[in-house]
Amino acid sequence: MKKIQVSHLSFGYDKEKKVIHDASFAIEAGSYTTIIGHNGSGKSTIAKLMIGLLESDTGVITVDDLELSEANIHEIRDRIGIVFQNPDNQFIGASVADDIAFGLENHQVPSEEMQDIIEEFADRVHMRKFLNSEPTKLSGGQKQRVAIAGVLAMKPQIIIFDEATSMLDPQGKAEINALIQDIHSKSNLTIISITHDIEEVAHSDHVIVLDQGHIVLDGTPDEVLFHEQELIDLKLDIPFALKLQHALEAQGLQTKPCTTMEGVVDELCRLHLKN
Amino acid sequence: MPITFEKLTHEYNADTPFAYLALDAIDLSIEEGKITAIIGETGSGKSTLVQHLNALLLPTKGSLTVLDRTITAVEKPKQLKELRKRVGLVFQFPEYQLFEETIAQDIAFGPKNFGMSEEAALKQAQKMLQVVGLSEEYAERSPFELSGGQKRRVAIAGILAMDPDVLVLDEPAAGLDPQGAKDMMELFVRLNKEYNKTILLVTHDMEHVLTYCDHVVVVDNGHIAQTCDKQQFFKDSTLLRKLRINPPAVIRLRDELNQRGFSLPCDLIDMDTLAKAIADEVKAHE
Repeated sequence: MKKIQVSHLSFGYDKEKKVIHDASFAIEAGSYTTIIGHNGSGKSTIAKLMIGLLESDTGVITVDDLELSEANIHEIRDRIGIVFQNPDNQFIGASVADDIAFGLENHQVPSEEMQDIIEEFADRVHMRKFLNSEPTKLSGGQKQRVAIAGVLAMKPQIIIFDEATSMLDPQGKAEINALIQDIHSKSNLTIISITHDIEEVAHSDHVIVLDQGHIVLDGTPDEVLFHEQELIDLKLDIPFALKLQHALEAQGLQTKPCTTMEGVVDELCRLHLKN
Repeated sequence: MPITFEKLTHEYNADTPFAYLALDAIDLSIEEGKITAIIGETGSGKSTLVQHLNALLLPTKGSLTVLDRTITAVEKPKQLKELRKRVGLVFQFPEYQLFEETIAQDIAFGPKNFGMSEEAALKQAQKMLQVVGLSEEYAERSPFELSGGQKRRVAIAGILAMDPDVLVLDEPAAGLDPQGAKDMMELFVRLNKEYNKTILLVTHDMEHVLTYCDHVVVVDNGHIAQTCDKQQFFKDSTLLRKLRINPPAVIRLRDELNQRGFSLPCDLIDMDTLAKAIADEVKAHE
């Protein structure tokens, strides 16, 4: 089932210069979609258009059966949560509990229900111990976990992660990636991740590649990632697994094409045992 | 002349209830003319360590020798200006520190501060723009019109404009896209090879350590856990795993295959030689 349908979307910050050109794509309900492209390719702009933070010049965005318009923008925003890149720019509360409460207050959740909801979602992101902590006492990864709790507390159906791990240290990155995987596996949330991490892309269900506001590739990781030369020309990374297969081929060893490290390891072990 | 730390201790808020021992009597020697990676978990003491290099922090105990200067805990060093000119320190996300109206003015700020004339400093700024890979036409533009990666280049050009012998960079590639990160790292390799700068790189990215660095220093909990060349360092990933640092993909592959029945030599650290060894071993079984 299609969760989001984008048709012929165009947008420019000023009239002469379009940053999104006639973009069309669809996202399946419950899927994990990654959007890649080098800086300035329009990835974040697309995210902002999808949640109605920016208004498109032409084109249609449909979420479920709702066509995004000024009339239903609030209804659509209730369905889509977004987590941004910089943990410091999205921490609004004076404490973790405050920060999670922010969205709930905006939705007039009665205060007697609020405490339970805050605790439930602080638990969900393993931040229960820190409910009264100030943001300055938290690491970047912890702040991002709080941001995710705030989004989850609004019970969205779709979450967009806009480079949510790119400013974190490796430990923070690993924590957040594991949390996103966990959320995805235990719910029917639709996840859209704007990322530079090609290994994350290889493990996703669906990849959209943007270049200068155009959608240039759209499909499963296997359908997209084997277009290696195209990815290189777009100044994007290619997965380690593919680089390795070329190196093995140069040594006269053919392996079954595969985009993930686990896949290549399994294949090599199979060949090793068979012989 | 190497950079040497001798029994250097740094304690924040010493003699107060908030005292915190960030570096505990470390001994360390960093070779001149090389690219050295400083790695460790967040909070391990690596930022404290590098801030001693231009005396931004002074040791609580012990001493440090950089270039021809020795900085000790006992006496307050005089004339730090000269040292700060020769050791350039680039903090994380330096693009947040740009402030001038034009890019050329921003780059010229440092050298002017160290006594260079306006004219010479602006000329130097032009030259540095080229070194960091931005064309001359950027000189008169506002630094705030640039992309994140370009801003960072301008910030680094500002440090390079003082022509330091030692360049210390804290996570210079963080937050850049893959191509931006690659360009940035290649810039440091060029500064090292062509301009003979000693480069210290605080980084979390093990792929960068493997691809671009010569030596590795591991800081753990205020101590030096290891210091060796790259080849030696990646022979064994036990320490990395203990520090919860993800080893580079090539090393993960080598270790994973060995765990599952291959016997690949552990001194293999680059893709091509590893691929050859894998291919040989698979074929040998035939």
